[in-house]
Amino acid sequence: MSFDTIIEMEDLARNYEMGGVTIKALDGVDLSIYRGEYMSIVGPSGSGKTTLFNLIGGLDRPTRGRIYIDGVDVARLDAYELAWLRCRKIGYIFQTFNLITVLTALENVSLPTVFAGVPRDEGLAKAEKLLASVGLGDRLHHRPLELSAGQQQRVAIARAIANDPAIILADEPTGNLDLNTGTDIIDLLHGLNRTRGMTLIAATHDLKMIRASDRIVWLRDGRIEKIERG
Amino acid sequence: MEPGRVTFKLGDALRLGYEYIKRRRDRAIINVASVGLAISFFSMIVLAEAFHRVQSGGGAGLGVEAYQYWMVAVALAVSVIGIANAMLIAVFERYREIGTMKCLGALDRHILMLFLIESSIVGAIGGVTGFTAGALAALLSAAISAGFSNIPGIPLAEVIGLFSASTFLSILLSVSATLYPAWRAARLDPVEALRYEL
Repeated sequence: MSFDTIIEMEDLARNYEMGGVTIKALDGVDLSIYRGEYMSIVGPSGSGKTTLFNLIGGLDRPTRGRIYIDGVDVARLDAYELAWLRCRKIGYIFQTFNLITVLTALENVSLPTVFAGVPRDEGLAKAEKLLASVGLGDRLHHRPLELSAGQQQRVAIARAIANDPAIILADEPTGNLDLNTGTDIIDLLHGLNRTRGMTLIAATHDLKMIRASDRIVWLRDGRIEKIERG
Repeated sequence: MEPGRVTFKLGDALRLGYEYIKRRRDRAIINVASVGLAISFFSMIVLAEAFHRVQSGGGAGLGVEAYQYWMVAVALAVSVIGIANAMLIAVFERYREIGTMKCLGALDRHILMLFLIESSIVGAIGGVTGFTAGALAALLSAAISAGFSNIPGIPLAEVIGLFSASTFLSILLSVSATLYPAWRAARLDPVEALRYEL
């Protein structure tokens, strides 16, 4: 494994049992993702995108094959270590933002630092800085439902990078946004990828997002169909 | 890379639990009312008996019948079922948030702790308000039956003892009602939880 590879997949497969039938959601994927890369994962629904995402995100374990995240074999981690991996190494961004509705923007962004064991003042100060950096310095104490969709996704992005993860996993980040807001979000993510060197992996249908990426992986029926340069 | 640990300090859990109660006030009020009413019934029966004993000069009590204690027990059981029901709905409501928290690094026991802390707060509020209501009712009935002049003779130590017992019982009931819903929430698979549409 070369030193600049952050995620390495070897013959990665994941089956699901559904009513006695085995569904091969992912069927032998070999893929290396490089540190600091911006990769788009594209494919029709049912192609295995979500399954691949869950495996990269440490939310699921493979049926066959191996996946190494930053040199660690995910299959060998126990529940504590997996939680730690999700907390410190990976920042998640969802199509539906998934902010905690009872908490303010500031508290939402500082939540990952709570699980990381960062002292409260430090976590809040960092959250404030991050919110300012995504252009929401004047919305610290607003709750998610008092913010627009684009603003909510900005809060979610600030939350995703609160523990300085090496990897940002974005699942259709512009799927619930209008065109202009979506472009802003793409620029923001792209900026993080370039300035902070965070590896950005995005599942998307958004052509603008695909065009901005370094490599594009096309999935079909649980296998890689082709890999293109962006 | 050497995997480390995740944490969720009690203070943070308390703060988050408090926010949930404050923001989802309707559900908290139903739970507080549920446990509070049962506790007020409990403390009223016990206090009325104590007051009457004092008024009759340390002699026989009011003669609270066994069936009345039985009714108290039923009231307490009903409140537990009511809270368990409300908390189960709360878990379904928060499926996605639980999944999200697990993505952010929460362990199963952190989710469990969050729900149990929330129900402890609800139990404590229900205990204090329930006892206050029950004590007032007992006081009023004692005063009506024997006049207000007897009130200074009420044994304060016994009242304080019952207050602590009521609050403790209330927290105990609220927490035990939440055990099953909280357990369900804690062992949610984040993949399932995130896919869930309400």
